[in-house]
Amino acid sequence: MSDEQNIAERFVRAPGEEPQGEPRGFLGRLRAEPLLPEAGAGGAPLTAVIAVMSFLAAIALAVFVFISDAAGEWTSELERGLTIQIKGADAETIASQTQEAMRVLQSTEGVLEARAVPKEESEKLLEPWLGKGNIGAYLNIPALIEVRVDQNLRNDLSLLRTRLSAAAPGAVLDDHGEWHERLSAAARSGQLMAFAVFILVMGAGCAISVFAARAGLAANREIVSILHLVGATDDFVANQVQRRFLVLGLRGTFAGLALAMLTLGLTSLLMRAGGGPSGFLPSIKLGPQLFFTLLIVPIALCLVTAATARLTVLRTLSKEL
Amino acid sequence: MIVGFDNVSLAYEGEPEILREVSFTLGEGEFRFLTGPSGAGKTSLLKMIYLAHRPTRGAVTLFGEDVTAAPREALPALRRRIGVVFQEFRLLDHLTAFENVALPMKVAGINPNQYREDVRELLNWVGLGHRIDARPPSLSGGEKQRVALARALVAKPDLILADEPTGNVDPVMGEKIMKLFIELNKLGAAVIVATHDITLIEALGKPIMHLEGGRLHDQPTTPPAKKGKRG
Repeated sequence: MSDEQNIAERFVRAPGEEPQGEPRGFLGRLRAEPLLPEAGAGGAPLTAVIAVMSFLAAIALAVFVFISDAAGEWTSELERGLTIQIKGADAETIASQTQEAMRVLQSTEGVLEARAVPKEESEKLLEPWLGKGNIGAYLNIPALIEVRVDQNLRNDLSLLRTRLSAAAPGAVLDDHGEWHERLSAAARSGQLMAFAVFILVMGAGCAISVFAARAGLAANREIVSILHLVGATDDFVANQVQRRFLVLGLRGTFAGLALAMLTLGLTSLLMRAGGGPSGFLPSIKLGPQLFFTLLIVPIALCLVTAATARLTVLRTLSKEL
Repeated sequence: MIVGFDNVSLAYEGEPEILREVSFTLGEGEFRFLTGPSGAGKTSLLKMIYLAHRPTRGAVTLFGEDVTAAPREALPALRRRIGVVFQEFRLLDHLTAFENVALPMKVAGINPNQYREDVRELLNWVGLGHRIDARPPSLSGGEKQRVALARALVAKPDLILADEPTGNVDPVMGEKIMKLFIELNKLGAAVIVATHDITLIEALGKPIMHLEGGRLHDQPTTPPAKKGKRG
């Protein structure tokens, strides 16, 4: 038997032998070897752009988390307490009504703690606006009572208000509702802005993926054509491009995340060196919880870019032939 | 029927028809030469068979299926049954000779253990066993053609299309390649070889389709077989 006959027998399909199929299922597609050249889908510039997007998205998400934490602290502090302000024509009236109000509070079910704020402390609260000095000598400063109540009482303060008005006509009960509303609105605005930046970055990721996938497909036109001619499906080609985007995406997003963590760490150090954030500013709390939250960024960005690239390739190829 | 053309015409966008009302059939186990002067439309006709182009008019049948307007998803399975030796080789420059030959198997998602030996055997047979790790830019024209031939055969095609398969190889290798096509054809593979090589055509004595000016002038005819140097 000649060499040619031997080879011919090896490479002619036997009767009943099925033609070659195609990779089936998720694992089958996963096993397919990468066949596009290394620099085929954008390479380093695309990785750099994804890293920048990942950085911005991570910072936006971190700001969202910090504002949420701070808002939670503000509101829980406000929700825990009430303030009673007692006004009067003179110091004696204020002092007597304060005593009456304290008696009412001590006899009210649901009041956990009531503390009359000393006059010196009240004066200190006004110092930032009126300056140091004997403020009490020329101003009739209202007395303050700080009160902690349980949730039942907080849910219905009408009876307490009535009893206070009867015992101390100059008493005004402030349940911090207005502050609560204002701080919540401010926190919501901050959160919304941070979330909008996060979504915009994801949108930019989609747009860049579309552009890069089209450019990659155009640059690899001959390769894609050969793959088709040897029997590749559009899905196979899309998987090849998607895999490339996942690899580039993972490199870029984790680089961006690392840079964002570094930036947050440095900012936290600078804030601490400057005496820490003031009461109302969100503080930067780094830790495993924040890290795991920020892991959403590389995962989401990789999925978004890879899925967009895949859809772009499938849509582009579907217009051919 | 493996291939059927029924009054098929083809025009590239904005250009006059390159193929006009071409009709022929190729049955199982048939062997044809496709001849004609340069620019006659031989490559375009082969492209329509391997589904790189759709006809502007007429109907094309492949493996018994009308593929004239077949959905795009139906084409890969048909293409996997065709082995094509392109005139311009069309190898992937970033892959080695081994990887190029294995390409149809990789695309089919087959485990490398199942085709490694086949690929080596084909490369040995075309005389490139010592160059399996070479990439196309470092191969000569003849070597590239041999890699392209091996790639066309590795997936055991039912139809072999070869566009000037001996154009870049030495006469000895050319003869070997044609002998292999004849053997594959004897075992059932349908073969179409586009060539200008009259000596080769006469030597093998297989039917001819002659294209000229985009028309198939002569239905397959069998020239008198001659004992040429290619035997």
